[in-house]
Amino acid sequence: MARQNSFHSDPASASTSSTSSSPEHFSCHDDLLSDFTIIPDDSTSSLAGLTDFRNMTVGSPTQKPSASRKLSFYQQQQQQQQHVLRNHPLPPVYRLPPELLIAIFSKVSSLVDLRACMLVSRNWANCSVELLWHRPSFAEFIKYKAMVSAIQNETACYRYAQLIKRLNLTFIAGEVNDGSMKPLVLCTKLERLTLTNCTNLTDSPLMEIFASNPRIQALDLSQLGGITDISLNVVAERCHRLQGLNIAGCKRVTDASLVPLSRNCKFLRRLKLNDCNVITNATVISLATNCPQILEIDLHKCHNITDEAIIQLFTQLRQLRELRLAYCDLLTDDAFLQLPSRHYECLRILDLTGCELLTDDSVNKIVNVAPRLRNLVLAKCRNITDRAVINSISRLGKNLHYLHLGHCQHLTDRAVQHLVRYCTRIRYIDLACCTHLTDQSVCHLATLQKLRRIGLVKCQNITDFSIQTLVRRSNDTLCPLERVHLSYCTNLTVEGIHDLINNCQRLTHLSLTGVDVFFRRKDFTQFCRPPPDEFNEHQREVFCVFSGSGVSKLRGYLNAEKAAAEGLPTLGEQPYYVDDDDTQDMEEYGEIALDEVD
Amino acid sequence: MSEIKLLSSDQCTIVVLKEVAERSILIKNMLEDVGEVTEAIPIPNVNESVLKKVIEWCEHHKGDPPAAADDDSDSRKKSTDIDEWDQKFMQVDQEMLFEIILAANYLDIKPLLDVGCKTVANMIKGKSPEEIRKTFNIQNDFTPEEEEQIRRENEWAEE
Repeated sequence: MARQNSFHSDPASASTSSTSSSPEHFSCHDDLLSDFTIIPDDSTSSLAGLTDFRNMTVGSPTQKPSASRKLSFYQQQQQQQQHVLRNHPLPPVYRLPPELLIAIFSKVSSLVDLRACMLVSRNWANCSVELLWHRPSFAEFIKYKAMVSAIQNETACYRYAQLIKRLNLTFIAGEVNDGSMKPLVLCTKLERLTLTNCTNLTDSPLMEIFASNPRIQALDLSQLGGITDISLNVVAERCHRLQGLNIAGCKRVTDASLVPLSRNCKFLRRLKLNDCNVITNATVISLATNCPQILEIDLHKCHNITDEAIIQLFTQLRQLRELRLAYCDLLTDDAFLQLPSRHYECLRILDLTGCELLTDDSVNKIVNVAPRLRNLVLAKCRNITDRAVINSISRLGKNLHYLHLGHCQHLTDRAVQHLVRYCTRIRYIDLACCTHLTDQSVCHLATLQKLRRIGLVKCQNITDFSIQTLVRRSNDTLCPLERVHLSYCTNLTVEGIHDLINNCQRLTHLSLTGVDVFFRRKDFTQFCRPPPDEFNEHQREVFCVFSGSGVSKLRGYLNAEKAAAEGLPTLGEQPYYVDDDDTQDMEEYGEIALDEVD
Repeated sequence: MSEIKLLSSDQCTIVVLKEVAERSILIKNMLEDVGEVTEAIPIPNVNESVLKKVIEWCEHHKGDPPAAADDDSDSRKKSTDIDEWDQKFMQVDQEMLFEIILAANYLDIKPLLDVGCKTVANMIKGKSPEEIRKTFNIQNDFTPEEEEQIRRENEWAEE
């Protein structure tokens, strides 16, 4: 028996090897682990349990019968034992039991480093393989194919498919199709599956994958327009642990699968049903009734939803944190006025973009029941007047960080003045197309200490004076603005914008679409980013958006131009704030397009 | 401030502040179970030099706030940042480094275990398998075929 321990200098550690404390522990891995520490005294014993699992057999099986392989393994261990006997203690690293090696590997962040660990020795391979395969990720389809061929290989060193817990194919979405997806049916321990934008996929591989993965907790199928109730019904039947579901853009999905899903998946917490525009109140009411843990729900453009569904959501889900109802355009004031007068302390985010029937009365009730709202989006709620801002929204006070009132065209400077007095912690404000607003509003907004993003698209009254107040802070602090939207503010001049970019060193986004003095200057627009693909000829011509390094290049150019004009020596480019939120940039792309098209 | 005695595996008695020793959850629980103790508490798995080193760490960190629950295990950005004092503390030979890790594990001192594991993880960072073997003096027990197979099956992994 002494031989059994020869892999480890510490006898105790060998006995712990099959009870590794790895948090995610697999029986198959277990088998392998113990196999490494067991010396077959006769080559038939202790192998019975491994029949369904390929050991570290290599090359052609016929060429290397497993018994002889075992033998060579045995000889190696004997050598190691002799190594010990000859009184050369093993190096200190050998003292670590598997659970501590695993603890070390769990601190290794890069997959490349983990792969290197796998290639060090058998013991290291056993302790790192789970971590390496826990969440494979790919930037290239060819790498995905290499992974798939490893999981499909029946003579592979490990049953890799069983080790994969999380899989995200977003980065190779365009190349994923039913054929390349199919092998993933070998995975049965998936917990998170992200297939955002894998638009080629249809039901056939997905239903099989869902059927064999009852542990799925998070499923992102957004923009998979080809999938239907067939897939979602399998989720309903099999994936009862589901907590997060994103089927934004799965337009063919209906109540027929979502009602059963809401009955079976009682742990649902986060749901995005954006653009699932055939679903009705039946789905929403069933979710409200059956899934008490829902925290976030997005029903963007679910046009069939009516007041009744919203009342049910509020009645059943007291801990709701985020509710997005953009373009649920059948909603009326009744959705909110009929709510009981109790508090929804958890509600932080409410998006009512384009719910055009809502009036100030809804806003008032909302602020009454949800006093801790942090994000409020009322864009295109065109009935909203100063009264909603002054009497209601202002009462959110310091809780309010994000406010979108774009296209609320009745608003006047008075509303902005009042808002700024009470809601002093606003970081993001959008007042696009509030055409009554003047420089006065911007003067008030300039006093917001934390304002990072300001949207004033088509506020055509504003002039360079606004810019001056924005950038010249009374208390001499640095201008905190990062993103400024001034498209179609046609009174602005080059000098005004020059002032802005020189004084806001943190600026990473500046939109000036439709501002003549900019979009007509090819020497300026060379620093613009390209217009979105869907823009037409005219939109492309007036498009003028600077972001990231584009802003600092424009700054350098304007400074050089001015210096040249004044006959001064050219200053080097000033250091600029590095744009590290490109993702946010992309998120706002749609929003910009929206503001700038109409 | 009350003191307690610890008895190392090589039978050396070390006197230490109770508050310091209680960075070890094992000792803390033990003291809670037995109440007042006058005899030295045996720490059979840890020798004197290692125990002293561990106590040095506990002394420096005795005032640390309890670590926030580390539920962020899904993050790929696992930090291998180590605070400066700890980095210096960990500048020891591998013998001591691995003994500290084993002791921290046995004594249940999670933050010290973390620092130890991060130190080793940093020694792995950026190295080839052969460089890792050299660093830790590990014998390559793969057959060339096995090594090649594992390489092939895991070649998908990239930054």
